[in-house]
Amino acid sequence: MSDSTISYKEIIWNGLWKNNAGIVALLGLCPLLAVSSTVVNGVSLGLATALVMACSNGAVSVVRNWVPNEIRIPVFILIIAVLVTIIQLAMNAYMQPLYLVLGIFVPLIVVNCNVLGRAEAFASKNPVLPSMVDGFVVGFGLTLTLGVLGAMREVFGKGTLFSGIDLALGESARQFVITVFPDYQGFLFAILPPGAFLGLGLIIAGKNWIDQRASKKAQMQPAADLPPSSVTA
Amino acid sequence: MSTSILRHASTSAGILTAFAIVGTALLAVTYLVTRPIIAETEKQAKLALIGQILPRSQYDNDIIKDAALLPPSAELGNKEPTPVYRASKQGRPYAAVLEVVAPDGYSGKIRMIVAIKADGVVSGVRVVTHNETPGLGDYIDIAKNAWIRIFEGKSLSKYPDRDWKVKKDGGKFEHMAGATVTPRAVVKAVHKSLKYFNANRDNIFSLPADSPHP
Amino acid sequence: MSAPHVLTPDRSVSTIMLMVLGALVPAICAYYYFFGPAILISLALASVTAIAAEAAMLRLRKYPLKFFLFDGSALLTAWLLALSIPPMAPWWLIVAGTAFAIIVAKHLYGGLGNNLFNPAMVGFAVLMISFPAFMTQWPAPLMLSQHPVGFTEALQYYFSGTLSGVKLDAVTMATPLDTLKTQLQLQHAVSDVQQMPIFGAFGGKGSEIIAAMYLLGGLFLWQKRIITWHIPVSFLATLILIAAVFYGIDGSRYASPLFHLFTGGAMLGAFFIATDYVTSPTTPRGKLIFGAGVGLLEYLIRVFGGYPDGIAFSVLIMNAAVPLIDAYTQPRVFGHNTKAE
Repeated sequence: MSDSTISYKEIIWNGLWKNNAGIVALLGLCPLLAVSSTVVNGVSLGLATALVMACSNGAVSVVRNWVPNEIRIPVFILIIAVLVTIIQLAMNAYMQPLYLVLGIFVPLIVVNCNVLGRAEAFASKNPVLPSMVDGFVVGFGLTLTLGVLGAMREVFGKGTLFSGIDLALGESARQFVITVFPDYQGFLFAILPPGAFLGLGLIIAGKNWIDQRASKKAQMQPAADLPPSSVTA
Repeated sequence: MSTSILRHASTSAGILTAFAIVGTALLAVTYLVTRPIIAETEKQAKLALIGQILPRSQYDNDIIKDAALLPPSAELGNKEPTPVYRASKQGRPYAAVLEVVAPDGYSGKIRMIVAIKADGVVSGVRVVTHNETPGLGDYIDIAKNAWIRIFEGKSLSKYPDRDWKVKKDGGKFEHMAGATVTPRAVVKAVHKSLKYFNANRDNIFSLPADSPHP
Repeated sequence: MSAPHVLTPDRSVSTIMLMVLGALVPAICAYYYFFGPAILISLALASVTAIAAEAAMLRLRKYPLKFFLFDGSALLTAWLLALSIPPMAPWWLIVAGTAFAIIVAKHLYGGLGNNLFNPAMVGFAVLMISFPAFMTQWPAPLMLSQHPVGFTEALQYYFSGTLSGVKLDAVTMATPLDTLKTQLQLQHAVSDVQQMPIFGAFGGKGSEIIAAMYLLGGLFLWQKRIITWHIPVSFLATLILIAAVFYGIDGSRYASPLFHLFTGGAMLGAFFIATDYVTSPTTPRGKLIFGAGVGLLEYLIRVFGGYPDGIAFSVLIMNAAVPLIDAYTQPRVFGHNTKAE
């Protein structure tokens, strides 16, 4: 890949929509399904992942020309592990309640295949700034999926939105919790793991539906300059 | 030829070592910076948890420091040493907070803390971790239901041994319809702690401080 | 778009479904006799919901209403679900379960003929994990209840959530399976536990007769060649076999095979649920494997699992294995190799 062809627009479009890590690439589903029971949990883990990915892509890009090919994977993993451990310690120190909720999934960011995947596929071949943008955007795409899935599961499962925001932003943020349905019975199915699978399926169906409509429109007006539809394998 | 392979390998090893050293150094620095903060937050979290069942205004010592380990005993039913935190007021024993385990929940162990005042009255109980069925047995968790507060103010002098059961088994403790295994386990564990406390009160307060969290 | 698996508007589907529904009637009568009229309200609510959901989904999918709506399959799903969950529950419980079964488990998977999982059991599983408190409150048999609930009072409970004068606790009781499980945890022997009033001659009081009626209905379906013997026989034989092994090892900790046959959902499951055409294997050998799998899982979940009965989960797990079972049990036709179509 030559450096001259990098377009930020394409990086962002790919990361957020066309090759969204959560709903198109279907990578890193374990944390995606496990922690998306509320918006706050999902978005927090998503942002932590995005932060790790931005830093790891940046670091990998910096050292890409000094690392011999055969030891690049151990070096990348080492970089990722160091970054994740730093974030884990920082979260434990400054956002402990949230850290306790996310539990094992924070250290498990190390083995999220998106992180190593972007380091290997993008950062090891591209300059620092585009690599950092790519890492962050892919992570942010995952965050969006986690946020939407978390919102769906939380509204149907508990009848609230942003519950637990005080864990992330401190006690004073408790006022931002929205009660969508007062006196809601609670539909536990949505909170429990099967609800995550069903919700993810619905989101994927929704994305395909939007893409299909867009490509139909594009066919009807061939001149329109729409982004390419995302028909994926 | 072989020397070039050797040189190549040693270069790689050197680079890998350099990364490992830099990484370790970064981690060491972060660890040293965050360690006191994490210890302090953990202490505050534990104090806040204990504060829910034993208001901090009621005692004046450092309860986290004044901790001891209760050896395994048949009365308490613990197989591992059980941490106990002792609150005192003006140097006199005021209350003890026991970390107890109810081994017979519907889905495994229920870990709780039980605060008992020196006169044998329960100040409060909280479930710390459990795996009970969501929506069925999880009302023992204060986040879901206030049920766990039924123990507040109860004592062995108020209820004799035969009353320390759920209503379904002929005791005095209410429970939700449909789930009796969970509250049965909790009531049993609180009862055991009370009996143990009453029998070993002096010993609990006179054990030398041996904090489980150095 | 591939051509959907369109069923011809043949009378046979609706005739079959009508016969299956008819085969359930003796059990429903026994249910009414032993547990009161609440079951009729459950059945009615489920039926109305199923027809409405089916009509809405057919319209959304642009299918002709007339051909499919009255084929009886939605009604059968509704009845199986209503018979599997406790009567005496808030109205929305059965409505939500039936709607989920028809909309998600049936139509989102492609409609009748394409659904991988038994819709009634999906509805049951969703309700079981979402509302376990309601799903474990079974009414006591009328002869054990100090407060037998009549039709109007049951109706009042469905829609207002209250009974006149008494709490719901007074009319509900733990089921035989549930009682057995919790009493065994308290170190009582099976023979002592079975002296409790909820237990009958060989199963649960009243419920053993209902189970016998399911057996009767199942035999009728077999005699009419609507179902084959493979699934029920392999299911029940496996259940008997594994129950006998554990019973033989320690009869004070494990109930007898007869008890396992006539409690919970074993009979209903063996003849009416596991035999669903769409979600079970097509070949006789496949059916035997499928039935044995359901029977084995049923026993394991019921005795060692977290839920009181395991029929829904064991059927769903085996449903997921059906494509695999089918692939391995297709008879080989000479002159054709594995290159399909």
